[in-house]
Amino acid sequence: MTDMKRRDVLRYSAAGAVTAATATLAGTEALAGPDRSDMPADRRTDRDKKADPWDPRDFDELYKGRRIRGRHLLGSLLRGQDELFVGNRKLALTTISTLFFPADGSAPYVATGYISAINHYDPVEIDDNRRRDGLKRLGRKIVDILGDCELGEESARTHHH
Amino acid sequence: MAVVRKSIAAMTIAEKTAFINALRQFKTASANGRNYNWYIDQHITYFARTTDNISHAHQAPSFLPWHREYLRLLELDLQTVSGNPNIFIPYWDWTGAVSPFTVDFLGSITNGGVSSGNFSPRWGWSMYRSSIQTNTLQRRLGQNASRPTVTTINNVQSYTVYDQAPWNPSVVNSYRNRLEIELHNRVHNYVGGHMATREAPNDPVFWLHHCNIDRLWWIWQSSRGVDTYEPRSGTTNGVIDNFESMRPFGAGRTPSAVRDISFLNYSYA
Repeated sequence: MTDMKRRDVLRYSAAGAVTAATATLAGTEALAGPDRSDMPADRRTDRDKKADPWDPRDFDELYKGRRIRGRHLLGSLLRGQDELFVGNRKLALTTISTLFFPADGSAPYVATGYISAINHYDPVEIDDNRRRDGLKRLGRKIVDILGDCELGEESARTHHH
Repeated sequence: MAVVRKSIAAMTIAEKTAFINALRQFKTASANGRNYNWYIDQHITYFARTTDNISHAHQAPSFLPWHREYLRLLELDLQTVSGNPNIFIPYWDWTGAVSPFTVDFLGSITNGGVSSGNFSPRWGWSMYRSSIQTNTLQRRLGQNASRPTVTTINNVQSYTVYDQAPWNPSVVNSYRNRLEIELHNRVHNYVGGHMATREAPNDPVFWLHHCNIDRLWWIWQSSRGVDTYEPRSGTTNGVIDNFESMRPFGAGRTPSAVRDISFLNYSYA
């Protein structure tokens, strides 16, 4: 088993263990807490801890009955390495610097956004401050766009802008 | 043969029928070495930066000329595959009352899969390279965005500089970028489903939408100048300059070469 697969098993088996105990709130059911308290310390090696630290923004939840998982990797400088899974499929993410137009009509501003094969024309803003939950908001948006459908194989193909 | 591209509001039933039947025919037959799915492939490929680090189709100055050439080729191919030189790509004025989503045109299902009627699988329309796992064309009309208003369009059309550095989606004072984000992106998101994806040409409304984008650019050119593309010379990294060829269209298909639609065998009514 590769390191990545082993980490996934550890993380998401731990996440699954708390599923039954979590409460449903507004259509969203948390499957894993944002901190590492739900990961048994004796099941994580030092290498795991160093190479794969939990980010408090990571999530594993049910949204409208669909499982979405997000992992923030390597910090904001390499945000394009973040991972999002909807159901059992990974969605390839691309970050772009783009204009955002606030819904209240205030002046547009430049920020970093995620796009993917599914929301190619609708970047979701992400930053380390007021939009730090961008990956989770993207996951929920993807579920809304998909409706009853799942991600197709094309959605995992990476591309650059 | 030169054609006049009409609004969907002005199309006859015969013109609508000819257009959609040509699209269906082009799904299974080739013309001029291309078929319908070739267009989806190109849209996916050139949405991203190419291996030489150039943005051709989106989020870059060549967004408008690239799609002008893309539509011109499709129009030519539809005329060829159908044997009807009068076929034209119509435009969808999003501010108007007439919808393309009708039983006799692009299909009336706008919330979910187009499972019956025009552009359903039974009618003869299949999905290609879909990032949504489905065999049917998906739409989510109005669920994620609203249509642009006349005020928004007029504001975009008032920008006087075609484009400027850094030549990407972050530039504020740029006609191209404001048009791309505020009008183009918004309508893709308004239709939703496959129109929101990288493989958006799976939905035939893609062509009507981009025809209106091209029409707005031509109106803008008519007042600001036909030869107003920026950047001008071949020194700008990562984007197509005025005299650089746009891929995959081949040598000589530059922004300059497509700047004047009177030389491209179509006009707008």
